[in-house]
Amino acid sequence: MYRIRLHGRGGQGMKTASRILGSALFLEGYEVQDAPRYGAERRGAPIFAYVRADKQPINERGIIASPDLIIVADDSLVPVAAAGVLAGVDADCVLLINSDDDKETWRQRLNFKGKIYTLPVETEDRAELRFIGATCSGAAACLLGIISRESLTQAIQTELSALGMAVINTNLTKALAAFDHMQTAAGCVSEGKAILATDYQSPDWVQLPFEEARTSAPAIHAAATSVNVNTGVWRTLRPVIDYQLCNKCWWICSTFCPDGAIDVDDNNTPQIDYQHCKGCMICVAQCPPHAISSVAEELAQANEKKAAKRKQGVRS
Amino acid sequence: MTEAAVGFYRRMKDLPSTHLLGTGTAMCAGCGGLEALHEIYDIIGDKSIFVNAAGCMTLLSVYPFTPFRGSWLYTAMASAPAGAQGVRDALDILKAKKQITDDEDMQVVVLTGDGSAYGMGLSATSGAMERDLDFLYICYDNEGYGNTGQQYSGATPHAAKTSTSKGARGFAGFKKDLFSIWAAHQPAYVATVIGAEPLDLAKKIEKARSLKGPRMIIALSPCPTGWDYDPKETVNIGKLAVKTGVWPLKEYINGKVVHTKIPRQRQPLEDYLKCQGRYKHLFEPQRNEVMLNQLQQKIDQYWDNING
Ligand SMILES: Cc1ncc(C[n+]2csc(CCOP(=O)(O)OP(=O)(O)O)c2C)c(N)n1
Ligand code: SF4
Repeated sequence: MYRIRLHGRGGQGMKTASRILGSALFLEGYEVQDAPRYGAERRGAPIFAYVRADKQPINERGIIASPDLIIVADDSLVPVAAAGVLAGVDADCVLLINSDDDKETWRQRLNFKGKIYTLPVETEDRAELRFIGATCSGAAACLLGIISRESLTQAIQTELSALGMAVINTNLTKALAAFDHMQTAAGCVSEGKAILATDYQSPDWVQLPFEEARTSAPAIHAAATSVNVNTGVWRTLRPVIDYQLCNKCWWICSTFCPDGAIDVDDNNTPQIDYQHCKGCMICVAQCPPHAISSVAEELAQANEKKAAKRKQGVRS
Repeated sequence: MTEAAVGFYRRMKDLPSTHLLGTGTAMCAGCGGLEALHEIYDIIGDKSIFVNAAGCMTLLSVYPFTPFRGSWLYTAMASAPAGAQGVRDALDILKAKKQITDDEDMQVVVLTGDGSAYGMGLSATSGAMERDLDFLYICYDNEGYGNTGQQYSGATPHAAKTSTSKGARGFAGFKKDLFSIWAAHQPAYVATVIGAEPLDLAKKIEKARSLKGPRMIIALSPCPTGWDYDPKETVNIGKLAVKTGVWPLKEYINGKVVHTKIPRQRQPLEDYLKCQGRYKHLFEPQRNEVMLNQLQQKIDQYWDNING
């Protein structure tokens, strides 16, 4: 059985990518399961989708714990614990990652034993990022080696039929280009072993006594505990304020930020809370003197690291 | 009510510069509903109990995390106003028994999406208004069942595409006039607001806070996910909703409806429609002149009636 796990952010089309792969595998005569994980699949938040394909009836259910192929649409998810990108990997696992860093870098960074393939990040423009799902599904189809160009094409046409010809064609172009780009690695994913019910190891149960409703009801006794959730990791773009240009109007960015992630300090100066800013860029669009610019998060983090190093250098 | 009681938010600079609602919630980046809620919460304050029907905002409080500083209670989709009745009664009993002081009393706030407000929960809301329940109702109206993937609701506008109205003509029905339905109950207060007009919003919430009885707020909530646009456009689209006349800002009080912001020169409706993917079929592959005209006419008719 092939077990494929897809990771992306809400809005990047990984649910659609899983459907495309599922349909293409079905066209190739496989029994198929494909499902996204239901939860808080908000724009920008880590999302998961799963595809299983087998020539036999599939009796497995639920999330895929040991994948044969992992597809990552957005490399900024790798360090995010909640995204669980590397959960259950072994040396037979193939990792396909959309990243500008090459596979050697990733191999060292992750100490990854299996094969790694990268797709170059095509764009920082969010409107273009819509097609990353199609690109990933095209590349993955080739790595699996059991999906023909024709089945891939038909699957995309079927799954995207509601979106009109123009959108379908762009997706097809991207998917087929990625399919061809991966030719040298065609068929590198191998089928995982069957998991037998008899091999199932039950987790170490912890027996908890039933508590009184008053104790076990999930009451939260502190205010605004949500600040412990670091939604800053959702961000792919970072708003950066140029304080030379900011005219300290005080209320515009701070009021419009849906998350309340911009407060104004005693000097009427807005401060962005990067722990929580999700990168919606409303502040960038609204700031009257255009004092807030949009920087790719990756670049911003790299710059931060450089600056920190420089500082250390000066100190030592 | 004196003018002083409602007169604090006169200028933009009177708006709060630090915020009460906690960060770190699971709403989408650029959520217009969260924008309105955080502006509203700054004014309602922490002495409040939120009663929340199932919807996107259910995910605000996921144990052990909450953005609220007061209590929060989760109810089934149709029953938030009934939940509010229970909470209000409990507070009144505690007050009568002198277990809490008047100072410790709290605002009971219902928070639901439009799926609840315009549809499933309408009967419970009607009952609550009939009983003159002392509560504040905030409906964040993203014009569809957002949490489950933007199926159409009683608030979906004519011709908009949703995941259950995908055809070339979009949604065949018409958006219910919930403002009038609510106002017909003659509650203490009804108002429409939008996060993109924070001063108008602040004045109305401040007024609602100072009143007793049912106080009903509908916040149009641009939704990047359901309406299909880049999250950074949320405020632009909200402002366009007001400037094109799609979302009339108004209030009902003492038996009268007053428009609080009348767009002098209404911008063409098209400006609002064309920046949202859910209306794309009206422009591509070719312009649907007939439908665009119909939609504009409906808006013009509304304002002709208002302006006389
Ligand atoms: C009686 C009932 N039916 C269906 C559901 C599933 N459900 C959960 S949230 C939701 C959507 C609610 O839509 P809306 O009230 O508009 O709020 P939004 O999701 O847009 O925030 C639905 C249908 C439910 N919880 N209860
Ligand atoms: S689906 Fe829409 S209303 Fe719901 S959280 Fe996302 S942006 Fe907000």
